[in-house]
Amino acid sequence: MSVEAQQGIATSRIPSGLGGLLPALILVGLFFVVPVLALLLRSVTDPAPGLQNYAALLGDGTYVRVFFNTFVVAFVVTVVTVLVAFPVAWMLAIMPPALASILFGIIILSMWTNLLTRTYAWMVLLQRTGVINRALMGAGIIDQPLPLINNLTGVTIGMVYIMLPFMILPLVGTLRAIDPMTLRAAALCGASPLAAFRRILLPLSLPGIAAGGLMVFVMSLGYFVTPALLGGTSNMMLAEMIAQMIQSLLNWGLGSAAAFILLVVTMALYALQLRLVGSKRASVGA
Amino acid sequence: MLLDYDRLGWLKAALLAFTALVAAFLLLPVVFIVLLSFGSSRWLAFPPPGWTLKWYQELFADPSWIEAALTSARIATMTAILAVAIGLLASFALIRGQFRGREVLRGLLLTPMVLPVVVFAIAIYAFFLRLGLGGTTIGFVVAHSVLALPFAIIPIATALEGFDKSIEDAAIVCGASPLQAKLRITLPSIRVGIFSAAIFSFLASWDEVVVAIFMASPTLQTLPVKIWGSLRSDLTPVIAAASSVLVALTLALMIVTALLRRKLQT
Repeated sequence: MSVEAQQGIATSRIPSGLGGLLPALILVGLFFVVPVLALLLRSVTDPAPGLQNYAALLGDGTYVRVFFNTFVVAFVVTVVTVLVAFPVAWMLAIMPPALASILFGIIILSMWTNLLTRTYAWMVLLQRTGVINRALMGAGIIDQPLPLINNLTGVTIGMVYIMLPFMILPLVGTLRAIDPMTLRAAALCGASPLAAFRRILLPLSLPGIAAGGLMVFVMSLGYFVTPALLGGTSNMMLAEMIAQMIQSLLNWGLGSAAAFILLVVTMALYALQLRLVGSKRASVGA
Repeated sequence: MLLDYDRLGWLKAALLAFTALVAAFLLLPVVFIVLLSFGSSRWLAFPPPGWTLKWYQELFADPSWIEAALTSARIATMTAILAVAIGLLASFALIRGQFRGREVLRGLLLTPMVLPVVVFAIAIYAFFLRLGLGGTTIGFVVAHSVLALPFAIIPIATALEGFDKSIEDAAIVCGASPLQAKLRITLPSIRVGIFSAAIFSFLASWDEVVVAIFMASPTLQTLPVKIWGSLRSDLTPVIAAASSVLVALTLALMIVTALLRRKLQT
């Protein structure tokens, strides 16, 4: 590249420096950073200055149970999602392209279908008199309908359903990047399939599993819609509690404090994820 | 041999069976909702005692559903335009710019994607209450643009990263102005990224529930707010009909995307 060209680009008015970022920074600064900071401020000033909102949240058994419950649900959802996603991603990574594109089509259809539509379907499917209970009773497996909705089971099924694509798609990338020769070499050296899986395939895909799993965990922590519709009142999750504090109870101080706790936990885990995969891969993978 | 499709042996059958089960699990709600929307039972009995189109008639006869859908389409279109325009400028700066703190700024712009939506929802709700923007179209578009921006920046920045800048420089050496070179060489080359950005930011707004629930007013409701309201009161089959229309639109969008991508890439 000539010097003139370089200068021409450096001085061009079309964004090549900081200027192009201006509209984005104004949008995000004014309508994201400022409102979120104002919310933080509110959590320590409403109704009176001090940390009493945080003390109330962490001192009351009911609230602590919601925090605990949120972590348990997010953890269970993450573990189940990883276990279900791994074999599927494994097959997707090596199956013939024609078959793989059908499977990708199904995954994308499920991912792009309206969130409320999918949740509505599960509400109907999991009802006491729903298809799943009837099928199980018809087959003689159970004689009483199982409680599948308004509890942890319902939330787990609904959330795993939504999180699966977010785990499968990045994992396929990780698995495709593994050189099949390493496994062929293991087999040649006499490793049994189980040993090859445990000592080679699993360790090599661990970074992908960790990154995807952490992302699913973070997303699950703050999820609102599915727990609100499929969960029960006895195991409410944090996002739902925050919405309720603001919308029905109009308790802005307490709601803001709970929101801020969720924010800090999420951001800490996100920073950890960036460390695991490097900032670029994480942003593209998401 | 674990990564050799043809030499997996018995494992292949087991893994394929499991994969087929998961595929069925992923398809189940989508197929189920479409079948349900044609069922005649108000109580959502399945399999339905008979087939009918009455839920679709009820859906299209109700102006509040149509209005909510049009509101959603309008807000999502404006969001997509705004997010792509701002995202395009930002991507050039993030990929080409040489300044300190670039990674930090990139991280900041992508944060709305990671932060739990409910936190942003109550923050912007409180903020807009003060500004008097709650329940307005502008308020919706601005809030949704914040959420859509990462989905616009990621595909455009990725495309721009893969574009060889020396082609643009060559155009400048040959006498094009920097602006001309960008408009006529660079933008067409990254059109697949721009197109993906438009689709993703449209969907980010079209499907957005949480901010919308807080922002909506009795006179301004998006489709997800309308569905949410109906879901909370009763599980009427009209929701199944509305959902099926959405599934049909999703399928159409997937097909158009696939075709356009193929066309744009050749």
